[in-house]
Amino acid sequence: MNFEEILAHHLLDHPIASWMIGGVDLGPTKDVVILWIVSALTVAIFGFAARSRTRVALMMRYGIEAVVVYTRREVHIIFHEDADTYLHYFLTLFFFILIANLFGLLPEGASVTGNINVTAALAFCTFALINFAGVKKQGLLSYIKHIVPSGLPFWLVPILFPIEIMGLFAKCIALCIRIFANMVAGHAVSLAFLSLIFIFAASSKFVGVAVAPVSVGMALFAYTLDVLVALLQAYIFTVLTALFVGAAVHPH
Amino acid sequence: MDKLLAPEVGLIFWTVVTFLCLVWVMKKIAWGPIIEAIEEREGKMRSELEGAQTARGEAEKIRAQLEQQVAGLQTMQREMLAQATKEGEALRAKLKADAEADAQRVREKTMAELSEEKDKLTRELRKEVAGLSVMAAERLMRKTVDDGVQKSVLEGFFHDLESRKAN
Repeated sequence: MNFEEILAHHLLDHPIASWMIGGVDLGPTKDVVILWIVSALTVAIFGFAARSRTRVALMMRYGIEAVVVYTRREVHIIFHEDADTYLHYFLTLFFFILIANLFGLLPEGASVTGNINVTAALAFCTFALINFAGVKKQGLLSYIKHIVPSGLPFWLVPILFPIEIMGLFAKCIALCIRIFANMVAGHAVSLAFLSLIFIFAASSKFVGVAVAPVSVGMALFAYTLDVLVALLQAYIFTVLTALFVGAAVHPH
Repeated sequence: MDKLLAPEVGLIFWTVVTFLCLVWVMKKIAWGPIIEAIEEREGKMRSELEGAQTARGEAEKIRAQLEQQVAGLQTMQREMLAQATKEGEALRAKLKADAEADAQRVREKTMAELSEEKDKLTRELRKEVAGLSVMAAERLMRKTVDDGVQKSVLEGFFHDLESRKAN
């Protein structure tokens, strides 16, 4: 068993069933199932915190409310009067990504945010929301007009328009790749440190045993870092989405 | 490991569907009640703050009124004190003037009485001296002068005396 196989086993998706619909396989894979588990977990946790009146639920609720109040204030700064329309989306996005990231750190768990298809889908939702919100607020023509910053010399507009359109795609692609790369890298580093044990053990069992504490320590360090990265990436993805959508709603 | 970047349409589809459903469900079951509770609390805090501000304004107003009243009272007190001082001053001056006038009157009266007394005494003394002189002259002359002559001589003498005194 080489390192590539180990990585592939831990990081890649595996199909579970095959449902061919219109030439496209919509069958559930490992990551789809985890996606559903994470969603169910999110609903369960927040439903419990929001609706239950037990002590535990109240304590959870205070923690969640702190985040909600903070997010609400930030979203208000970006969106002004439109804040309440989009607040639900950003809150859900943040906690969904956070729980998905943390779920990947559990034993036997895999982080769906380490699959580029999932992050691409989330970035696509952001892309759709940017355009939807822009058109909804300004109307289609005004939105297209405002893609280029106003007040430019007229001969710059034809040059800048394709650049701005490319920028719009680039923003979303960057969102997609940023979180995917961060999550994959975290897992790969942890796995690499642990694999060191077996690589050294292949030459001599004693060396393997000697390397083990160091490897476990480094893997633990990488793992701890992953917890931070999980939080940070959920925050970055949400903040950037909010900024992009905000820029589309209020172009000035 | 090139499968790491392999596209999976099914997964993309399910992610979008699941995520959008999640947004909707979370809005219904979690964010709705939580945001409502936060807004309710903020509203309560705002109304309490406004209440406190109103109460403070009220207290300020009352304080200003009280201060005004105190200032008014102080002014009144000062005025009354000044008035009383002025009145006392006037009374003192009046009493002093009265006393001085009284003293003057008493002195004048005493002087007049004294002068009158002196005149009377002088007159009586003169009469006595005249009588004594006449008696002495009578004895000296051993001659009886009748009362008519005596009287005219005395009157002439007094007349001379008066005229001399007037001079």
